[in-house]
Amino acid sequence: MHSVTGVDPHLDIESYDPSADLMVLNLGPQHPSTHGVFRVKLYLDGEIIIKAVPYAGYLHRGVEKLCEELTFVQVIPIVDKNDYVSPMMNEQAIAMACEAMLGIEVPPRALYLRTIFAELQRLASHLLWLGTFGMDLGGALGGGASLFMYCFRERETVLGLFEEVTGCRFHYNTHAVGGNRHDITPRFTQDTKATLEVIEKRIDEYVEIFSSNGIYRDRTWGIGVLDGELASSLGITGPLARASGVDHDLRRDAPYHIYGELEVNVFTESAGDCFARTLVRLNEMRESIRIVREIIDSVPEGPILGMKPGKSPGHIKIDAGQGYSCLESPRGELGTYVIGGGNSRGASAYRLKIRSPSLHAASCIPYLFPGHTVSDAVAILGTLDPIMGEVDR
Amino acid sequence: MAVDETQRTYDHPLYQHVERMPGLSVALGNIDQLLTWGSANSLWIFPMATSCCGIEFMAAAASAVDLDRMGSIPRGTPRQCDVMVVAGTITVKMAPRVKKLWEQMPEPKWCVAMGSCAISGDFYRDIYSVIPGIDTFIPVDVYVPGCPPNPEALMHGLLRLQEKIRMLREGKLTREELRPESPPNLNRPAIGRLHDPERDPLTSEEQTDSAAGLGFGDNLNLARIRRPRPTAEPRPQPGAEPQPAADSDEESAP
Amino acid sequence: MTRDEAQERFVALLQERFGVSEIPEGNYPLVDVAHHFELARALRDEFGYRIYSFVVASHYPAQLDAKNDNAVIDTEHYEVATGLRCIGAPAHLASWRVRVELDQSVPTLFPLFAGADWQEREQYDLVGVRFADHPDLRRLMMPEDWEGHPLRKDYAIETACPPWR
Ligand code: SF4
Repeated sequence: MHSVTGVDPHLDIESYDPSADLMVLNLGPQHPSTHGVFRVKLYLDGEIIIKAVPYAGYLHRGVEKLCEELTFVQVIPIVDKNDYVSPMMNEQAIAMACEAMLGIEVPPRALYLRTIFAELQRLASHLLWLGTFGMDLGGALGGGASLFMYCFRERETVLGLFEEVTGCRFHYNTHAVGGNRHDITPRFTQDTKATLEVIEKRIDEYVEIFSSNGIYRDRTWGIGVLDGELASSLGITGPLARASGVDHDLRRDAPYHIYGELEVNVFTESAGDCFARTLVRLNEMRESIRIVREIIDSVPEGPILGMKPGKSPGHIKIDAGQGYSCLESPRGELGTYVIGGGNSRGASAYRLKIRSPSLHAASCIPYLFPGHTVSDAVAILGTLDPIMGEVDR
Repeated sequence: MAVDETQRTYDHPLYQHVERMPGLSVALGNIDQLLTWGSANSLWIFPMATSCCGIEFMAAAASAVDLDRMGSIPRGTPRQCDVMVVAGTITVKMAPRVKKLWEQMPEPKWCVAMGSCAISGDFYRDIYSVIPGIDTFIPVDVYVPGCPPNPEALMHGLLRLQEKIRMLREGKLTREELRPESPPNLNRPAIGRLHDPERDPLTSEEQTDSAAGLGFGDNLNLARIRRPRPTAEPRPQPGAEPQPAADSDEESAP
Repeated sequence: MTRDEAQERFVALLQERFGVSEIPEGNYPLVDVAHHFELARALRDEFGYRIYSFVVASHYPAQLDAKNDNAVIDTEHYEVATGLRCIGAPAHLASWRVRVELDQSVPTLFPLFAGADWQEREQYDLVGVRFADHPDLRRLMMPEDWEGHPLRKDYAIETACPPWR
């Protein structure tokens, strides 16, 4: 039993009130509100959940095993597919891990590009979350779909920017060990500014919707309160933890890219409920816009790849040692643990573990669900924003 | 244009009503056109969206591309849908569920494989937990390539599906796939609903059993759930595909 | 406190109280498995490392010396690396490894960190290392009747799973 919340995730159902009329309900694995394939077995007493047992693994694609087979160069487009809502973060995480272990210097222009891309990805990811969350609460016909439509309209414009640079809407394969592959153009700078202008105004509209809608408030205030202490002991980071008052953001506390030169405002809320998580994400969207605006005009000239491009896929070799490096993805600390010295003298990893924030986020479900109704469960699952590709990998 | 009965591969129940009504059969040609138009332009989609391609599917359903304008609405339950769009990687753990959902859809039904994962398994093809293409266990009508395909590509795929439906109804194309031909109970899913007289009583019995045997806690009564299934006469399905020995023990986990 | 100072403090802790003699270059320190739980507790309670960051298990098959009559260089074993992080700047990561033989198990960190529940289950599922006193050591990713642990070195990547693949 956890001391703070008083919820026992391993509650023995047999020992629960024997006279109660219990019911088992499977939420998923194919359910529109689970955001992918995820199954939670709910034990209900009336409509109140008394125990939730999540089952992951319906999208286990064996990425870590595949990464042991392929070389470090080939791995980058593979890890793209883990967190498919912000794919560039995965690429950056793995590129950073290799760079840290090999001591490769990344040129400043590439660092600027990475920062800009990271913030735009955060924006796109949070927009998608907002849209689908509206859908979870309102249902496709109950008004939630309008928010979904609006958010996707904005998200398309952000994806358009990426398409201009890399040629893809997502799964870009644009980061390499030592830098980037695709350079930005003056047109990109212009378009970005115009897009951000529009999105900033729209975010204000969304805040309006949230703060003035009674139904929305009823369904989120005080629902799914996550305790800050529990959050960090579960390894939860990112907006989820910040909404519970954990003042922790790797962009500010352990700066990478060029965040060290920037002032990053970290928003925290103390309530820890669904509403607080919404607010934190909305504020982060604004902060991302601010950061991109601040640096987009000062991108230095220069090369974008710090090392000579290799001719063979095996030209990056890590033959020994272990290392871990991480960054702040839209969902929290996304890290890569690399053990060097795999096949063909270190061209691939001996073991590569992806530390995914979503798996940690999903692991708080047994603590959050009990005591709520089934409809609240959908709202809570929506605000946790787990990406199943990343949970299961 | 009247349709040659012998070549038509499926039939709409409305069609039979029309045939029975005196006088209306004169207008059969037009009615047929109407029905063809109707069935090609109201493809309700069941999104089997498991991973990244699912996000592109959502983008296709959202404002920029808007599948609604061609009559395709995503619905959350297989019982209401005509097309299953499999968007994403299907794993060994998920495949029995996909197959069951496919069986719950009423005929006539169609399947679109969206993205390389659904088509062939993509680069996960050789991995222990990934199905190398969904056409190993359900028939696929249209393949939309890409990783992920753009929303426009999905739209193109659906247009091709409409074309295919039209050609099938007009008898210009005969099906090659190993798909069950139209059974007499046309608009019924392969697994009937509860209280459906044609529902295999063994299925009901087994499901009731496994629900009762589910138990609480993690001490699931596995012995009871995994009880070997009594061999029942398979439902007559002319030309049915060879059934992979699949849905034997999955009844307990819908 | 800067990150370097935090690292020095961590190294000092390891050397003074947990009998670690050398800190390898480009690698994380190897701690005796008997100290695993105590080290985590000390870091959490005394130094404020409250974020449970990761646990990575890896499998090393036995190494035989082919030239020398297949003498055993190294037995088959697991290595489990654990990482804890402190909240806020400097967000220092304290990470160490433990080595266990095939039949040994690692003490679970669940009493200290609730997150260990799922992370250790995942490592057990994929690699096969067992965690002693874990409350619920079941498979997490693979189906419950799956045979073998996929991330072990002796597990072929294209293992078949009839009738599905
Ligand atoms: S085809 Fe590509 S985008 Fe689609 S699910 Fe597979 S990996 Fe993801």
